[in-house]
Amino acid sequence: MINTSPEPLLTLSNVNTFYGQAQVHFDLSITVSRGHIVCLLGGNASGKSTTMKIILGLVKPRSGEVTFDGASLIGLSTPQIVRRGIASVPEARRLFADMSVRENILMGAFVRNDREAVAQDLDRMLTLFPKLGQRLSQRAGSLSGGEQQMVAMARALMSRPRMIVMDEPTMGLSPLYVDRVLELIRSINQVGVSVFMVEQNASLALEIAHEAYVLQTGRIVLSGPARALKDDPRIRDAYLGGSEAA
Amino acid sequence: MSSWLDYTINGLIVGNVYALVAVGLALIFGVSRLINFAQGSIYLVGAYIGWVAVVRLHTPLPLTIIVVAAAAAVVGLIIERFGLRPLQNSVRIAPLLATIGISFVLDQLVMLTFSPNPRALPSQLPDVRFQLGGGTIGPLDLLIAGVGLTSALLLFVFLRYTKLGWAVRATAQDRDAAMQMGVDVNRVNQAVFGIAAALGGVSGMLVGMYYNQIDTAMSLQATLKGVVAEVVGGAGNVPGAVIGSLLLGLVESYGVAILGTSYRNLFAFLLLVVVLVLRPNGLFVSARQAPPEPLTGTFVAPSRPVHIPRLVLLVAVAGFALLPLFPVSFYVLQTLINAWLLGMLALSLTLVAGTMGQVSLGHAALLAIGAYTSALLSLTLAVPTGLAVIGGGLMSAALGTLLISPSFRLRGHYVSIATLAIGEIVSLVILNWESVTRGPIGISGIPPLSLFGYDLISPSSVYWFSLAVMVVLALLQGRLLSSHLGRSFRAIRDDDIAARAYGLSLNRYKSLAFIFGGFAAGISGGIAAHLYSYINHETFNTQQSILALTVVILGGLGNVVGAIAGSVALVGLPELFRIAAEYRILIYGIVLLLLVRFRPQGLLGTI
Ligand SMILES: Nc1ncnc2c1ncn2[C@@H]1O[C@H](COP(=O)(O)OP(=O)(O)O)[C@@H](O)[C@H]1O
Ligand SMILES: [Mg+2]
Repeated sequence: MINTSPEPLLTLSNVNTFYGQAQVHFDLSITVSRGHIVCLLGGNASGKSTTMKIILGLVKPRSGEVTFDGASLIGLSTPQIVRRGIASVPEARRLFADMSVRENILMGAFVRNDREAVAQDLDRMLTLFPKLGQRLSQRAGSLSGGEQQMVAMARALMSRPRMIVMDEPTMGLSPLYVDRVLELIRSINQVGVSVFMVEQNASLALEIAHEAYVLQTGRIVLSGPARALKDDPRIRDAYLGGSEAA
Repeated sequence: MSSWLDYTINGLIVGNVYALVAVGLALIFGVSRLINFAQGSIYLVGAYIGWVAVVRLHTPLPLTIIVVAAAAAVVGLIIERFGLRPLQNSVRIAPLLATIGISFVLDQLVMLTFSPNPRALPSQLPDVRFQLGGGTIGPLDLLIAGVGLTSALLLFVFLRYTKLGWAVRATAQDRDAAMQMGVDVNRVNQAVFGIAAALGGVSGMLVGMYYNQIDTAMSLQATLKGVVAEVVGGAGNVPGAVIGSLLLGLVESYGVAILGTSYRNLFAFLLLVVVLVLRPNGLFVSARQAPPEPLTGTFVAPSRPVHIPRLVLLVAVAGFALLPLFPVSFYVLQTLINAWLLGMLALSLTLVAGTMGQVSLGHAALLAIGAYTSALLSLTLAVPTGLAVIGGGLMSAALGTLLISPSFRLRGHYVSIATLAIGEIVSLVILNWESVTRGPIGISGIPPLSLFGYDLISPSSVYWFSLAVMVVLALLQGRLLSSHLGRSFRAIRDDDIAARAYGLSLNRYKSLAFIFGGFAAGISGGIAAHLYSYINHETFNTQQSILALTVVILGGLGNVVGAIAGSVALVGLPELFRIAAEYRILIYGIVLLLLVRFRPQGLLGTI
């Protein structure tokens, strides 16, 4: 149990985002405390992926502030933000399909220059994801969805991030892999990496999250500790009932 | 007597040269989905730097190669940094247009610096030939093969074993994901432009030595051949570009062996069109691979067109119509006649490229078809020239649409490549179809314009005639655009998938646009033929296609009044300021660059 009040690692405050004329975020405010797993729930097209892109600097907000470890991320390029210690597992994984599994994982360490330590980390990934060992020289695009998710997570870990952001990491996976992914997220978090994840599947996400936010057409409509939200009737009605997860 | 082995060797050597250009194009396309039309200009620059090094500085061969590669790389880096990086958030077609502008500027700068006359570029190698089976091979062949293989090896090592090389490959596969790994995409772009330029420059130098001659016409040819090889191999596919190049070299070499030199380019462009139509992703794309991102996105920057009151237009037309009644010089009328003729071409292109979103780079071919038809009708069949011009318009509408129709299913940049190739094919057919077109001699003694038996010889009568024709075409086009048809055109331009979902037949609407556009351009070409009284296969060339494109962008894509205003501006202003002819193309290139960068919606706004 954490006995000191956790300090914020990532904050979004009053973020407003537009695609052309269309507003996607309305005064969005989210805090990820150091060492926590925070989950952003919401239906299709509610603006979840765009939130990820805001954090990573792939989309610029029209107004609002984003800070990481006390410093503003606004105006930084994506590579600069990555170098601050944020790694990502993008929606639909987005592996480099024609590169080998090994190259994909090592691409995760692109910002690092300590070759020996990177090689050691690669070995560590193979103990964490034993299945990938036999697949190292295979084209990443030829793997199954679940295996690709493992590669994407290994790739994100290779930068030794302080925080990982994940966009629907369980989407399209078989139940076996869903459990495995959740377990992994938890163990990643236990070694001190903060996690911000976007999910449609509320029941699964609330299982492992410390806090959660619920996004509805660009507005946060509900937020709080995951344990409390799990029993919240509004969540149950809106998400848990409708979830099709196995 | 050359043996088949000789043709094979020649094909492979030439293929090697193409490969040096095409690999650069493939690298650039891979990371930025851009067809770099300035690649041939860098090749040209490389050839001339080689000339300076060899003839003036007397550098030894290895040093020459290094100097050329380094200097060309610097040019490439400058293009990337100042020409393209500022356009990162522009519409898709903007970088492509920028590379066209850059290539004009570079070619003209080379021409102004070194004069347009060809120069000899000595090879610095002994002139001996070795027997090899039934053929022969010389030291220069070996040098070219050696440079090709060495470059391929270096490139392989770079892409496979260096960090930056990995970044290039990752960016080519997924730009956003690469950025999320911390890859600085600007550095990747820099790297590929530098490499592409170094390879392209060396290639130009080697070709200069191979033929012992360099001249500024090399540029466009190299771009075209490189693009053919790259698309044949699959856009963005580096090994594919090498194989595509060797294939192209062999096809050309054997084609020349069978039919003669003047057919060389015809084979290249026919190969391109066949591949574009049948396998737009290239010959070597495996089935499981998704096609490269569709190159959609027109150049039509969102804007509110400038509203010009009808009265102002009426006054302007009346003013121009009354002009010959005042004591103006013949020179002024002549200039404006040229503007009206260009205006008709611009009307055609603004419809096709602006309203319909098919950015054609081969529009001069429509002029050529109209001109040849009208000239031949009046000369060989004694058709009155007034009717012959209309015949030219109809032929251009029919033939132009027919020729372009195989590429209706293409989108974005591919349309531009296909139209460019089709334009070249038309010019090459004119060159080679001697029994009808009189081949390289051209057609002379074309009778002057006449209307109802009266010859239009005086400058004012020609002026009125061309102004009247242009105004009629403009009015027709204005009606067309405000009709249901015009709305359908724009719907297809803005989102062809949605348009198809609403039941619009893309082929039918694209045909209609090209029929109307072909007619207007054909009329312009027809009139021009009777004014010039002599035409040949080079009268209507790519430069005019690009000039027309600059005009319509200047006026505002899709904007009828803008097309005409743009023509008057681009034809008239250089005359007004008495700019020497050799600087004009340079200025057109600069105008194009500035427009793309600062005012993509043109002066009067896109519609
Ligand atoms: N690049 C884009 N351009 C324009 N609109 C976009 C873009 N990306 C997403 N949108 C729109 O923004 C809204 C939010 O999208 P997104 O953040 O992807 O939602 P989610 O991940 O919750 O499904 C959607 O309506 C989507 O159509
Ligand atoms: Mg999403």
